Amino acid sequence: MGTNPVLNKKLAIFTATGCRACENAILDIHYQVSSLSRYADIAFWPYVLGSEWRDLEKQERIDICFFSGAIRTGGDREAALKLREKSRIMVACGACAAFGGMPGLVNMSQSSGESGQSQGTMDNNQQASEEKKPELPPLEPRVLGLSQIVKVDYFVPGCPPTQNFLWAAIQSLVCNGQSPARLSFAASRLPETIGRSITSGILPPKGSIFAGEKAVCASCSRVKEEKRFETYKRPYQAYEESGRCLLEQGLVCQGITTREGCGGLCTAVGLPCRGCFGKAEAVFDPGAKMVSAIGSTFDSDDAQEIAAVVDDFVDLVGTFYRYTLPTQCALFSTPPKD
Amino acid sequence: MSDFEPKIIAFLCTWCAYVAADTAGIARYKQKPNVRVIRVLCSGMVDPSYVLKAFTTGADAVLVGGCHPGDCHYISGNFKAMRRAPLLNKLLEEMGVESGRFRLEWIAASDAPQYAEIINQMSEEVRRLGPFSPSMIK
Repeated sequence: MGTNPVLNKKLAIFTATGCRACENAILDIHYQVSSLSRYADIAFWPYVLGSEWRDLEKQERIDICFFSGAIRTGGDREAALKLREKSRIMVACGACAAFGGMPGLVNMSQSSGESGQSQGTMDNNQQASEEKKPELPPLEPRVLGLSQIVKVDYFVPGCPPTQNFLWAAIQSLVCNGQSPARLSFAASRLPETIGRSITSGILPPKGSIFAGEKAVCASCSRVKEEKRFETYKRPYQAYEESGRCLLEQGLVCQGITTREGCGGLCTAVGLPCRGCFGKAEAVFDPGAKMVSAIGSTFDSDDAQEIAAVVDDFVDLVGTFYRYTLPTQCALFSTPPKD
Repeated sequence: MSDFEPKIIAFLCTWCAYVAADTAGIARYKQKPNVRVIRVLCSGMVDPSYVLKAFTTGADAVLVGGCHPGDCHYISGNFKAMRRAPLLNKLLEEMGVESGRFRLEWIAASDAPQYAEIINQMSEEVRRLGPFSPSMIK
């Protein structure tokens, strides 16, 4: 596949429990995807190349593994351990791998310990022939992010990761040292520390997150005036397209707690930020920060009026920790594996 | 369960609630020794993150004490606390933290007996609820 088998990096791309949008995002780097094969030999990519596990076993070593999806089943855990053992650099790609993602919300309805074991087989009418019923791998007691079971070198957040950061990550990790022009282009899109290290030809510090440092509000194009939260609205409910901050209009926009990097993609078209980049650097807990941000702007000094507004809110945990419950929720996260 | 001593973190506003706590001590009101007081300039500066951090680092309950509405030294700080509390309570409840574990109380500087009573009440309630462990999901 590659032109220089000695210098070319060996790549593995895999999704555990996820929707594979992250793998699609890798294909979605437009025409650059064709130039990728000049730098990399893709050794293992089940989704696109139909690779099997024995293809991975044939490889002595993988240079970079892009791992997406949350750890939900025993199979996911096994895959993560196998890929970690083979790979020099492990990248958690996408919100599920980086933070546990939406599958992680199941942790809310799971009591600790054994659970879901009764779902060991798929009891489904679509499975016509009895003997062909596939065995589902055992479920983990809790959904985890990748960093909670293996050591992760880099994170590319997002649901799915935005094209610019994904390409910057691929360039700085896969093509490092091969094309100064490409590297300086990638560096210009990355936070200063990561950018500086890749232009000087070394790998970014371990644990780097390929995204911005501040909150989404910093790059959101909306006009922020005085914040007054009057009524709670959900995104489908009508709101006035006035170019004003969505939080001021009563939508629960999480831009205030979320790491920037997307450039305010959702907020620009009137959808409140959902927090797929995880919490911003300075935030301790996204839920607490949101409570603070919304609560302190309630437009009332009357306890009963405030209680009435609060009553309208639904599913706070599912909203504030939509992508991050297993890793960034202060109360329920499991410590990372170092 | 009988030997369980609850750990209550109390964020007390330096102008009212802290003075009340001080006075309650000087006046030798009987109080349960389960409270760790953290003195803050205003109840309005107690970010919900502090409350969650207290819970994650071993507190069984958190009390926020501020001036009565209208009495704030900084004019409107306690209103901020008042606005945040219901939403924070709702979030905590969804995460399986019983409502008795987080309280916001208005305690004026002269309310020393009330302060002692709140402390005693709260320690009894938390003693009944048992130790808080972050892993209990409902």
